Amino acid sequence: MVITGTGAVSCFGLGLEPIAAALLAGEPRLTEVERPAGYHRPDGARLAALVGALDVGAWLPPGSGRRMSPPSRFAVVAARMALRSASLEDDRAGSDTAVFLSTAFGPASFSEKLYRSIVTEGPETASPFLFTECVANAPAAQVAIACGARGPSVTSVQREASALVALGHGASEVRSGRSSRALVGVVDELPPLAHAILDRYGALARASPTWPEAARPYDRHRNGFAASEGATMLLLEEEKAARDRGARPLARVRACGGGFDPTASRVGWGTGVVALREGLRRFLERAGVGPGDLGLVVSGASGSVAGDRLEAGVLRSVFEVGPLPKVLAPKGVTGEYGGGFLASVALAAERRPFGPPVGFAEADPDLGIVPHAGGPLPPDGLVLALSLAAGGGASWALLEKA
Amino acid sequence: MLPEGGASPAHEPSAPRRVAVTGLGAVSAAGWGVAPLWRVLREGQTALGPFSRIDHTRHRTHLAGQVPAGPPSASWPRAIARLSFSERFALFAAREAIAQAGLAAPLEGPVGVFFGTSTGGLLESGWFLDRLWAPDGPRAGLHLMAGHQLNAPGDAVARDLAITGPVETISSACASAALAIAAALRALREGEVEVAIAGGADCLCATTYAGFNSLRSIDESPCRPFGEDRRGLSLGEGAGVLVLESLDRALGRGATVRAELLGAGASCDASHMTAPLESGQGAASALRSALADAAVPKERVGYINAHGTGTVLNDAAEWAAYAATFGERASKIPVSATKSILGHLLGSSGAIEAVATVLCLEARLAHPAAGHEPVDSRFGIDLVQGEPRNLDGDQVGLSTSLGFGGANAVLVFSRHEAV
Repeated sequence: MVITGTGAVSCFGLGLEPIAAALLAGEPRLTEVERPAGYHRPDGARLAALVGALDVGAWLPPGSGRRMSPPSRFAVVAARMALRSASLEDDRAGSDTAVFLSTAFGPASFSEKLYRSIVTEGPETASPFLFTECVANAPAAQVAIACGARGPSVTSVQREASALVALGHGASEVRSGRSSRALVGVVDELPPLAHAILDRYGALARASPTWPEAARPYDRHRNGFAASEGATMLLLEEEKAARDRGARPLARVRACGGGFDPTASRVGWGTGVVALREGLRRFLERAGVGPGDLGLVVSGASGSVAGDRLEAGVLRSVFEVGPLPKVLAPKGVTGEYGGGFLASVALAAERRPFGPPVGFAEADPDLGIVPHAGGPLPPDGLVLALSLAAGGGASWALLEKA
Repeated sequence: MLPEGGASPAHEPSAPRRVAVTGLGAVSAAGWGVAPLWRVLREGQTALGPFSRIDHTRHRTHLAGQVPAGPPSASWPRAIARLSFSERFALFAAREAIAQAGLAAPLEGPVGVFFGTSTGGLLESGWFLDRLWAPDGPRAGLHLMAGHQLNAPGDAVARDLAITGPVETISSACASAALAIAAALRALREGEVEVAIAGGADCLCATTYAGFNSLRSIDESPCRPFGEDRRGLSLGEGAGVLVLESLDRALGRGATVRAELLGAGASCDASHMTAPLESGQGAASALRSALADAAVPKERVGYINAHGTGTVLNDAAEWAAYAATFGERASKIPVSATKSILGHLLGSSGAIEAVATVLCLEARLAHPAAGHEPVDSRFGIDLVQGEPRNLDGDQVGLSTSLGFGGANAVLVFSRHEAV
């Protein structure tokens, strides 16, 4: 099972290359979130990794994009990009191409607009266009329509763990032979209301008298994550089929799985290191892989105080009898949500170089994790990607260079 | 998902692992539990009626399938009142299903939760926004947003049962729960889990009620799936849960096997956000895929629990799909239209209808639709009406779910002894 195509829309631009460049340079791109609606606390977070004005005309004609929510536009552009980069037609994927998309919040701005019109102008004024585009699977449906993908269309919603869940579904679909190819990915948008609510929960990084507002995965002074928006799509197909048609495999997907931490509250992080460790061990065992086979960890640590602690605890306990492989913490650059993590996983599996760990200045003695300092990645060994979610969800994947 | 290499042979069965249904749970407009559900299904008695979950005075329609107050048992912790309605429905149905399966929390080991929903806590997050936007209203408490996430009902089940295996929620409109059950089947076949709690939960809310009304998709009367004079759907709410496990495990522990889940198939119309392909080609593709996955010849299908929303276009496309798949025999397969009784549970409709399908196969009865509307004369459909119909012989039953965005999913069940 290999990745043969990639596409992305992010604060860095179009495609995976701008994300790769940002990861190498260790440069996040955070901008001010609009605040006139008054949703935000005065002393709350102000920044997010937002998608700016991008010329997507080559991927999505304006007439078509006009009839879509922002996440639908992001997803369609990223999906077409993934198909074209895999040397496939981007509008006739056919009945043997499935779409497995994931999202944390769905089309949040359209949902807000629709509900506001219901509340302020009356339910009879609800717009059918807003309604049909505010369902969580609207982006997946628009991808299927735009790309002509008539295989299964599935939208996973497991917060921060969603992307690897979608990757697992797509890989399983292709491996089983039900579909020849799968477009898998993640999409999210971050309107001011969603940003403000995350901030009210205390989830977002804030400025302090000492530190600017930034995500600091695994750092002693971390105080939250930087939220982001965008989309990443990957094209999966069987390796033999890909090579037979002359496609270049970028990375191999070996296995995907997941677990759950039942100690987590509905919106917070749990302390269930043992439960998650056992789940991860079961996964590695089923894959016939031991901790010693792993050359690299792509961590989902985001700068969340409790989330990073939980993830560090899981990693340390899985590797308790051996050295921890190098750990990448890309969310310091990409932010949380919007596909930056999935893009980082694909780039790491391809063994693209990563830069210094952004925001990391001082190790947290409670965590015992020091992220990779930058430079070339170890050439050997499998890549373990790990993504824990507030609320208890967890997903993981094993990849390798093709 | 299976590893690409190096896994033990135990994880690579040569034939698909057989999957048993050993527990059922339900919450619906009929009441809390499978028993009240089966009563209304068997009698073809609609549970649709006036409702109070949301203010609908300004709409042109005033009818839905609202779950009665509950849960009925005083043994439920008071903390349940802090959960969203969808989470409450999910918890009740899951507890009922695992109790029926002879299991008890904590469910240790490789046990997973696979859920589908369209709304999650959209009702309660609406209350949050009402307060946030009201200039002099009460403070908008964040507790109202805690169940907002679409993964909340499935997560609530996992938390309640102390599950540590994979927990996945799918939100693909009206196909969500059927796709979630299909994901559970995959995880069981691949050995990722030994037991799966699969289903879905949804709640009536202002957004969906206004949204479907804006599309003119809601009938002012109880919906009339496949009826000559059908005018749209009726919304409902509730939850359905199935306990799925490998047949070997179920038999080994002496569990009662209620049915087998033989296969699943899915497709996408890739045509339009709301209108199905008139030819039914997308749904037919899911039907073919499900039968192939189940390794069941189409001649063995003796029962269909239809998606049957009651909208003009959807019912026509669904019938076209059956006609394309089964040919002339399509007119001879008894079809139940559960939505005429419970309304459309949206993302969780595939779950409650999977429960209904298992109940029908088990009882060897196709439940009747509510009402006695003449069937659309353009369809040759054998819609069961009036009285339940005996299902004789070697029955395999289908449960069909067709959603917004052209998402189609079909589940294939059989009675255990029929295999």
